[in-house]
Amino acid sequence: MSDQHTQTQISSAEVHEVFADLHTRYGVRGLEEKRADQAFVRTDRDEAVAVLTHLRDRHGYTHLAFLTAVDQIEEGRFELLYMLHNYELRHDLGVIVEIPREGDGCSMDTIHRMWPAAATYQRELREMFGIDFPGSPRLHEDFALEGWHDLPPMRKEFDTREYSERTYYARPGRTKTDTRQHMKDTIYPSEAETW
Amino acid sequence: MSLKDLVTPFSVWKRALEKPYTNRKPLDSRPGADRYRGFHINDVDKCIGCGTCESICQNEAIDLVPVEGRKTKHGDSGLRPKVDYGRCCWCALCVDICPTGSLGMSNEYVWVDSDPEVFRYVPGHDEKPWNACEKGYRRAEGYDLLEPKRVEMPMLDFSESQKSFVEMVQGYSKEQAMEEADRCIECGICIATCPAHMDVPAYIDAIRRDDLADGLRTVYEANPLPASCGRVCSHACEHVCAMKHKGEAISIRWLKRYIVDQIYANDYQQFLDAAAPENGRSVAIVGSGPGGLAAAYYLRLIGYAVTVYDANEAAGGMLRYGIPEYRLPYDQVDKDIEYIRSLGVTINQNVRIGADVSFQEIYDGNDAVFFSTGLSDPYALEIPGEDLRGVIPGLTILDEVTKGQKPDIGDSVVVVGGGNVAMDAARTSRRYGAEVTILYRRREVDMPADEEEIHESQGEGVTLITQAIPIRIEKGETRRLKLIWGKAEMVPDDRGGRPRPRLIEGSEEVIECDTIVPAIGQQADYKFLPEEIAGRLEFAKGMVTVNEFKQTGDTKIFAGGDIANRKRDAISAIANGHSAAKGIDIYLTNFAAGGRA
Repeated sequence: MSDQHTQTQISSAEVHEVFADLHTRYGVRGLEEKRADQAFVRTDRDEAVAVLTHLRDRHGYTHLAFLTAVDQIEEGRFELLYMLHNYELRHDLGVIVEIPREGDGCSMDTIHRMWPAAATYQRELREMFGIDFPGSPRLHEDFALEGWHDLPPMRKEFDTREYSERTYYARPGRTKTDTRQHMKDTIYPSEAETW
Repeated sequence: MSLKDLVTPFSVWKRALEKPYTNRKPLDSRPGADRYRGFHINDVDKCIGCGTCESICQNEAIDLVPVEGRKTKHGDSGLRPKVDYGRCCWCALCVDICPTGSLGMSNEYVWVDSDPEVFRYVPGHDEKPWNACEKGYRRAEGYDLLEPKRVEMPMLDFSESQKSFVEMVQGYSKEQAMEEADRCIECGICIATCPAHMDVPAYIDAIRRDDLADGLRTVYEANPLPASCGRVCSHACEHVCAMKHKGEAISIRWLKRYIVDQIYANDYQQFLDAAAPENGRSVAIVGSGPGGLAAAYYLRLIGYAVTVYDANEAAGGMLRYGIPEYRLPYDQVDKDIEYIRSLGVTINQNVRIGADVSFQEIYDGNDAVFFSTGLSDPYALEIPGEDLRGVIPGLTILDEVTKGQKPDIGDSVVVVGGGNVAMDAARTSRRYGAEVTILYRRREVDMPADEEEIHESQGEGVTLITQAIPIRIEKGETRRLKLIWGKAEMVPDDRGGRPRPRLIEGSEEVIECDTIVPAIGQQADYKFLPEEIAGRLEFAKGMVTVNEFKQTGDTKIFAGGDIANRKRDAISAIANGHSAAKGIDIYLTNFAAGGRA
């Protein structure tokens, strides 16, 4: 990996130039240079497709490495992350877009016309987070979770433990020992020390 | 279709006689990757059975179970995790959260058996071929689900603290307390070690939920002196805290203090149980230290009329007269005591049992008696010159300061001893501007004083000389006194105890000083007990012999605190008082029925 880092063909000044261009055109903000070969920027939902298109067609970020989401439940939003790669410069640029995590707002424009592979990521995000991508092909078909009718499981309010308790029966013959009770029974069993 | 397309398929025939590029079957092995998440391994000697793996497992695949040959002890539940591979999803959260770092995963993943019941075992305890596997998943360095460092407590710095008796530890803010409370993993290992078995995880959880009234209720279930204990408790709980294996223990003591500090004394009655109406029986309590007050509180709560007799001007015993104000301000002692008094406990001050009122009188006039009179007689150094003017026991200095008198210590003080009384006397003397030196017979690691007391004394400019044995005291030349002491070497104890100091013959050093403060411990004084009653009680090595309910050889008399337990701290005295209250209730309900009404 480290070899790859050092091979990047773009300087920090040039990254800033790309950023300045995006900032002037689309109000892109929040440049974070994580590594020499990796930076992140933030943009508004309405500008996102234009920003991605501009990056692909004008700045050489032709490859969509992946598209994913992070549930920022405390802030009431999802962060979509479009990770783009520029082969020539050997540079990754992550574009972060915030969308509401509830209601009709929990939706994003599809980019499958720019990168057909994006349809697959969008299907996964619909299934795992419940994010809608209107117009994206086969969006509502099962992806990894066949026959899933519950809350999308990557949403943070999904209680994995409660789900497994409800869904899977406990194997007979299992016993649990309560730590506190066990310590009481063995270290201070006396009624004189029981409040 | 081009010619090339037609010819290409035939070109593969040139490889027909070469060795194939595939794996030979049957496969010998197909090892998992170096950090593969395979079957669990556990260093069962490092594991403390805290159950954090069990709690975090989202699939309920882990049960804590007793294992053969492993004993439950302080800081170790003796239980070990058993994994059910019918449910494990190999997510490794258990490995990531394990506070001791004992749990890991091997890179073994092949295990074939026709019996589904076998896929459950206690890693590290049950013999498995991968137990010694070096490869597999371990928590990555720098990746922590738990916070190893405690939230720093705001304290006066040493240059400031040594100038006055202002409380040094300033207490957590709400944000700090909640952040610290968040570090607790709620394993409950500490409960067994707390002498009063306080439900520590429950009150820490109350802080997290910001329901301090609930926290106060939990605290009072086992400890009616929390403003004091939240400051000066010996916090044995923190020594066994599971988080100590990860970094620093949870600040249990200071979180308790946080709860109490946030609630006004006048609001206590809204949140805590009211005392039951009087049941017609009465109990007398001798001594108003933590033992006596705890017994008084729990007895009054269940309906007994309680009268406390105390020789001092104000209640609190050693909390007030033995602990300096910079560690435990008097208003905090008052906060605890006034609430107990408000429940209807009568506290008679300035009454010395055996002098002002006879023990026989309270014995005859009540259904039961609890005494928790503490250790008031300082041990003598037993060296020549001890009767000279300027030799003042540590307890005397602390007592005088509490009473508002300026102790006659002069400009230079030598304290002899290594316990908390020695530290308190030294730091109190510092606050009166004296140069202070502490002489201790053994090594610093042997000192019975709390670690932070030793650290803070030194921070405040007290000089510590260890392995120093006082030989004699003489009148000084430039100062009031001269202490001659010798160097000690540590020799192994034949009886298997800690190494003992032995005077190196001929080594002799001299310190001139104004005051010498012996603080090498104290003993009980039982002179207040009439001979006839004392005859019915049993004593061993200066302590009253009691049963688990703190009942003495006389069924009507119960005893607790420093005179009845070896730990000799406030929280043990409180626990004794609580046990005695239970014992007195059981005794009066079942064995003295129809007694005095």
